[in-house]
Amino acid sequence: MNISAILAVVLPEKLDTMVTTLNQLPGVEVHHIEQDSGRLILTQEAESIDDEIKGLKMIKKLPGIIMADMVQHYFGEDEHSYPPELPDELNDQSEAVCVPAFLNE
Amino acid sequence: MEITRRTLLKASVAASAAATVGIPISEVAAKTVDEAEKDWLWDKSVCRFCGTGCGIMVATQDGRIVATKGDPDAPVNRGLNCIKGYFNGKIQYGKDRLTKPLLRMTDGKFDKQGKFQAVSWDRAMDEMEKQFKQVYKEQGPHGVAIFGSGQYTIPEGYAAAKLMKAGFRSNNIDPNARHCMASAVVAFIQSFGIDEPSGNYDDIEYTDTVVTWGANMAECHPILWARVSDRKLGDVDNVKLINLTTCSNQTSDIADSEIIFKPGTDLAIWNYIAREIVKRDAVDHDFVNKHCVFATGPYDIGYGMRPTSKYAFEAEKDIQAKELEVVLDADEAIAQRRRAGERVKQKNTKAPVKHWQISFDEFKRGVEPYTLDFVARLSKGDPDESLASHRQKLQALADAYIDDQRKVVSFWTMGMNQHYRGSWVNEQAYMVHLLLGKQAKPGDGAFSLTGQPSACGTAREVGTFAHRLPADMVVANPKHRARSEKLWKLPPKTLNPKVGAHIMNILRGLEDGKIKFAWVQVNNPFQASANANHWIKAARKMDNFIVCSDPYPTVSAKVADLILPTAMIFEKWGLYGNAERRTQGWRQQVNAPGEARTDVWQALEFSKRFKLKEVWGKQKIPGLKSKGFTDGELPDVLQQAKAMGYSPEDSLYDVLFATAQNRKVAWPDEAVAKGHACNTAEWLGEGWFPEKALFNEYREFGLGHEHDLADFDTYMSDDNRGLKWPVVDGKETEWRFNEKYDPYVTKGAGFEFYGKALKATPVGDLDGVTDKKKKPLPGRAKIFFRPYAAPPEQPDNNYDLWFSTGRVIEHWHTGTMTRRVPELHRAVPTAQLFMHPYDAKQRGLKRNDVVVVESRRGVFKALLETQGRNRPAKGYTFAPFFDESVFVNKVCLDVTCPMSKETDFKKAAVKVYKA
Repeated sequence: MNISAILAVVLPEKLDTMVTTLNQLPGVEVHHIEQDSGRLILTQEAESIDDEIKGLKMIKKLPGIIMADMVQHYFGEDEHSYPPELPDELNDQSEAVCVPAFLNE
Repeated sequence: MEITRRTLLKASVAASAAATVGIPISEVAAKTVDEAEKDWLWDKSVCRFCGTGCGIMVATQDGRIVATKGDPDAPVNRGLNCIKGYFNGKIQYGKDRLTKPLLRMTDGKFDKQGKFQAVSWDRAMDEMEKQFKQVYKEQGPHGVAIFGSGQYTIPEGYAAAKLMKAGFRSNNIDPNARHCMASAVVAFIQSFGIDEPSGNYDDIEYTDTVVTWGANMAECHPILWARVSDRKLGDVDNVKLINLTTCSNQTSDIADSEIIFKPGTDLAIWNYIAREIVKRDAVDHDFVNKHCVFATGPYDIGYGMRPTSKYAFEAEKDIQAKELEVVLDADEAIAQRRRAGERVKQKNTKAPVKHWQISFDEFKRGVEPYTLDFVARLSKGDPDESLASHRQKLQALADAYIDDQRKVVSFWTMGMNQHYRGSWVNEQAYMVHLLLGKQAKPGDGAFSLTGQPSACGTAREVGTFAHRLPADMVVANPKHRARSEKLWKLPPKTLNPKVGAHIMNILRGLEDGKIKFAWVQVNNPFQASANANHWIKAARKMDNFIVCSDPYPTVSAKVADLILPTAMIFEKWGLYGNAERRTQGWRQQVNAPGEARTDVWQALEFSKRFKLKEVWGKQKIPGLKSKGFTDGELPDVLQQAKAMGYSPEDSLYDVLFATAQNRKVAWPDEAVAKGHACNTAEWLGEGWFPEKALFNEYREFGLGHEHDLADFDTYMSDDNRGLKWPVVDGKETEWRFNEKYDPYVTKGAGFEFYGKALKATPVGDLDGVTDKKKKPLPGRAKIFFRPYAAPPEQPDNNYDLWFSTGRVIEHWHTGTMTRRVPELHRAVPTAQLFMHPYDAKQRGLKRNDVVVVESRRGVFKALLETQGRNRPAKGYTFAPFFDESVFVNKVCLDVTCPMSKETDFKKAAVKVYKA
């Protein structure tokens, strides 16, 4: 589970409709609105970074969006552990001891 | 995660982001930040990925990185981050991170055909020492090599360069930056006498015309592109954007004009603009007369291939033959004032950089053939576009440059650098800007963007190239060697005057047995170099020993004999220098996992294993010829070393690194560290602070020599977001060569191109030198005439499509780091070959077919893409190079710009068929 904050700039005359549209997107929530400049801060909650990127791209493509870019990213609960021994990739001797097979295809 | 915690985190992340970009938040919102982040420690840092040099803030909790955000105080990115920037905090947590040294062994002994087994650091270094010393003894200093990097931190690059050049007396160290920046460097040195851009990113806000040449900024430099977009959207009618490219891309989306040109014809388009400037008498004569001269050089300089077909695959031989002789085609004949079909022996392959001054009249004669008729016909790259439309766009391009009411910035990256005439086409950008007097002024300038985070700060400024020393000095210049020997406290003639092997020649040297020991540092040359089948074979089949320092099992690690597990960016202290001359530093944030060690520690630890008597005696250097040296050898300098107080038993560690002066730079250093660790210092355990000591020592090279840097503590201080060098009296320099901003310019001069390199040349005409006596040109820039030359490999009946490689936004370099983030990897699961739907149909192919891409040098497979964001014209294909399993470099041609030795990854001929 990741949470990212996105800065979006929308055409000021479309601000209200855009806020509604954005709030309807999965995992998206508009938090701060600056009326005059049309700037918004929204968060996007997603299972994976893949989904976050897709979401951001979708936001960028919405009619009325001038720009949207990421500002902050939280991933503190994304756990990985280190292998105590050799990484699997190197344990696979067909890959490790000679020219990796895919290089000779 | 329970809902309340998640809600709090979201509110906090949003409030923190709002504050970052300057949107006012309520007191309540601010409190959520305090609460959610109460155990986080934020610190400033720099993005690991590209040459833009964005500032990022990194939050750690319990020894782990938990969040990152754009740095609101960073002048480069002002709180924003691109997608890649996000993953700085995650790249070190891949599950296949290497944590122990790995050596190929059989029955407990090193065996090149053996299997990787985990060993101790002592065992790893013992083997490395043994192998190194054997090669060094047999082959001399040029039998060993280091693959360096534009991703080195400054202290890392400095340690590696000093160890090689001053310790081992070898110039065989060359960075992967050779592949991305070398052509830019040649053009800077030849045109201005000093490296790196005159302007800075603020040019974007000052200008009203942005022209991109072979630079897909929207995807590859998105944060700078965000600034360009802001500028455009803030003044839609007035601000003009023109995108010149061989392949329609996202950068064109907000451009006023997209010019699709045929590969290589950028050389002709620049000359067309120059001809228009001359014809319309738009030359800024006052600027040119006071501050410039005209120059040119030979055309018959080959293509940077080997001069023999001995190592070539059978299919490669027709292209390789062009290294010796070229038959001019009809367009080259016009462009070079010769006959079509003329056979031209490539006589200047050994001295491609030589050049001489010419008159303005001769310059005019040079650009005269580049009429709109000729250039429009030659350069039109999209068969579906009409000639009239292309002509009109070229004319509008010239108008935009020439309009005296307009300021203009030209940006370029790999399209112009990775080019068989990369140095020429870079020089042509300065040609146009200098003719117009639109250079070194706010909003006016030709600006070379960089690909790697410290291609400028380390590879170039520290000089981790085969021919360079710090601060723009070169090994071939006796005065530069003498100054370096003095600063490094070396006996005279310790430094080797013979230029070492550039990166392609290190690879070629491994293949032909001239180089038998290589150490890969902070890069992935066996994946990133063109014509890769040769180099993989060289690494695995030849008698040599390859060490690879790497955090992850990359292609280079897999083909190595010894892998050293290595610390990543936030696991060490470091400094980078970005494309606008900005030097920025960061502290170590977290510890490296397992037994991974920093590159600085590795270099220093290895240096402990060498005594002066093993390296500073007489050494053979095949081919060395230099005034004051016996041919083919370096002298014994041990006697002089003794006179300087050294003992032959002293180690390189004591003489080069842990010097009396450096040992005074104490660790712990709480004033700077503020609770942060320094693993390098702790592992060495001798109470000195290597990264700081090395940086401050390196800094001496530039002080008073136009490359002044501030000291280590300044860059590390909490309120510092980098400074653009030269930093004189604590003040950075925004526009160089311009009296208003640059303290190095002589008072009253207005402008002064004060770079000291190549500031006297012979004089001649377009065809050659007429007076060998060198004429000085102090304070002046050179405006070069460089002709169009055709690409050495072009589509023909057999290999009937153009092929180019490059990047996509989610991945960077060879994907080593970004591919560690599994989700990011899935976003672009495997490389695609982009092709025009018509070409696909002609070949009976459809979208998502697995296709084979075949060139003279090899094949790879990819998924066919006929839609999407890269939209090639008919006859043209593109595939990004990040994916190990789609090894595009097997297909690429290892032609280089003969001047810069930078590979042309952009122009190969291929055929494509269904797998």
